[in-house]
Amino acid sequence: MKKTMLQKFDSIGRIQNGFKGTGYICSQQIATTLYLAFHLDKPILVEGPAGVGKTELAKASAAYLGLPLIRLQCYEGLDESKALYEWKYGKQLLYTQILKDRLNDILQGAGTLSESVSKLRQHDDIFFSSDFLEPRPLLKALQQEQGAVLLVDEVDKSDPEFEAFLLEVLSDFQVSVPELGTITATSKPFVFLTSNATREMSEPLKRRCLHLSIPFPEPKMEREILRSRVPGLSETLLAKLVAFINKVRKLDLKKVPSVSETIDWARVLVLLHSSDLEPELVKDTLNVFLKFEEDIEIIRERIFEFAQNAGKGP
Amino acid sequence: MEAVLQDFITCLRNAGIRVSVSETLDAAASVKALGYSDRQVLKDSLSASLAKSHREKPIFDDCFDRFFSAEPAKDSDNLSPADGVSAPDVSTLSAMILSVDRAGLSVSMRLAARRVDISTISFFTQKSMYIQRILNEMGQEGLIRDITRMSEQKGVWSEKLLGSLQAGRERLFEEVRDFVEKQYRLSADSIPEQIMERYLKRVHLSNLEQRDFERMRRIIQKMVQRLKDRYSRRRKRLSRGALDLKATLRRNLAYQGLIFDPSWKGKRLDRPEFLVLCDVSRSVQAFSRFMLLFLYSLHEELARIRSFIFCTNLVEVGHVIEEWGVEDALARLKNGVGLGLTLGRTDYGQSFEDFKEKALERITNKTTVIILGDARNNYGDPRTDVLKRVHELSKRVLWLNPEPPAYWGTGDSEMRRYSPYCLLVQQCSTVTHMERVIDFLLRTQR
Repeated sequence: MKKTMLQKFDSIGRIQNGFKGTGYICSQQIATTLYLAFHLDKPILVEGPAGVGKTELAKASAAYLGLPLIRLQCYEGLDESKALYEWKYGKQLLYTQILKDRLNDILQGAGTLSESVSKLRQHDDIFFSSDFLEPRPLLKALQQEQGAVLLVDEVDKSDPEFEAFLLEVLSDFQVSVPELGTITATSKPFVFLTSNATREMSEPLKRRCLHLSIPFPEPKMEREILRSRVPGLSETLLAKLVAFINKVRKLDLKKVPSVSETIDWARVLVLLHSSDLEPELVKDTLNVFLKFEEDIEIIRERIFEFAQNAGKGP
Repeated sequence: MEAVLQDFITCLRNAGIRVSVSETLDAAASVKALGYSDRQVLKDSLSASLAKSHREKPIFDDCFDRFFSAEPAKDSDNLSPADGVSAPDVSTLSAMILSVDRAGLSVSMRLAARRVDISTISFFTQKSMYIQRILNEMGQEGLIRDITRMSEQKGVWSEKLLGSLQAGRERLFEEVRDFVEKQYRLSADSIPEQIMERYLKRVHLSNLEQRDFERMRRIIQKMVQRLKDRYSRRRKRLSRGALDLKATLRRNLAYQGLIFDPSWKGKRLDRPEFLVLCDVSRSVQAFSRFMLLFLYSLHEELARIRSFIFCTNLVEVGHVIEEWGVEDALARLKNGVGLGLTLGRTDYGQSFEDFKEKALERITNKTTVIILGDARNNYGDPRTDVLKRVHELSKRVLWLNPEPPAYWGTGDSEMRRYSPYCLLVQQCSTVTHMERVIDFLLRTQR
């Protein structure tokens, strides 16, 4: 298994081709970083504006490697019990109730309290065994025999405390459960952390990761992405669409349309069987890639000019 | 390659990118994994392990391009080794020049440069010194000796040999000068930046010029960001070990009252609220731009803040800050365009009265009130009663005064009468002062 993975990562070109096979077009920079992350066993911290395919990159990696994707969505207030593990309280309680009689049997004949305690102890810590342990994403990722792709999404939304805790997991790939001991990863997971840069990540975290920032793609690459994601899109429409979106991105908008929104829009246009960017049609479908009323207003005034010039290069 | 990488990292550090030892190791490992035959791949891989924020990426790109710039093959005029002449007893440097061993010369120059620590060059006045040092390290003395000896004993040595040696010396000088020039640009560019920053922090805000404004804004933003990083989110601190009996019983009712899931007593730290008042009157004109900048940055970064400016009366300006970019907003605030602000005599009394009306009932024990102003009230009623009320209701009142303490209470300054109701009155005329205020906020808010 490890061998085939090594093969898949033996050159940058191969990574690019492989990802293309899964429908993800990656630039040379992305491929280089992936290559390094794989060979240096380092997590990747992916930054970039919303919707450029940060999360998608992790999904594509999982698909390419044929490994399960384990995702941990971060939010304010996320703590260890939700990220690492939790005891199944309900099940523990249920079992004590069901096994009450059995417990009575075992404890029969025990005269004193200390005798019953030592009798119970002969049966180990039955209620604190791995049967009653609910693994959360981080632990689950460490337990995967074949390795896994771990995606810690929007890590900037989590608290600094959680970030500090994450450091331990990321540097040693092991966690300690007090009742069970230390659990070490059988094979190290491939880790992606994504961040929208709502806050600066701490220095130690950055130090442990490779850093990858994904900007909006070049028009050429965006065309390629659309080609792979939206089948049935005619070349003329494709070129115009990308040129249009790139013009829109240059304007001062509240929320600039991202790649995912371009894809959505392309899908809509394909559904509507259009083969050219007609101002009327654009006007009706603006809300697909613009999410604020003010933004739509700004564009609406300039649709005609944009749609006309879209074909004539940038 | 490792030495080159080390030099490159020194250059990055000079330019203001923080590179740790472990990152250096990562960079070395990635170079090892990918080689350095492809320039773009090298750039990408170093970028992944060395530049780790959006601020650092452009700096990195710039440094990389300058550091690993392809050196153009210079004067490819047909210099051939001085033919037929073997000079057995000349110095190594002369020999290299005579045999036109360009690669050897280049290596020798780089080694010499490393020996004299060229990367520490920081002022242009040091250039000629470094040129001389490098030349000396390369064995210039031997070269000069050879030249003098040849010109003295004209008969023994051919003119041609002497000529090519002299020309070679000049060329060498040129090359070293170019090299030093390049190194100077690499390592020294950033230093003025640091010096500038230090200078800007110390200089009186009223003396700052328009062109430093952008730089200033960055410094202030950095400070405010620090404040924000720590206080933007609600923080919960659990004191583990103290059982919250009531909450525990309530939570465990579902388990037949068996206590499975204990809950602990904790303290919830709330997000602080800020009310900021900024004086824009004539008397603080020189400062108001920077006080407003401070206000602007605070407002931009903090979630719960209400901003006011005042002169003869007081108006709320949060919407202006949210709507306009920094330049426009500041211009608007300064003139009070369309805000209903009267720019007449400064009236702290009236302003406090307005403040009382607009915001007093919203002040809670979580509110921090910051007042930026010189407290010069034109001998009007200072209305200390309002400030007293604010002081009683709020968590604390901070007063930042652009005047030095010696002026407080002189003339129409009411600072001495206001100060009993403030937790902190701080002179605030340089960025360092502002920084101290931020530190104070950070310290006492825990």
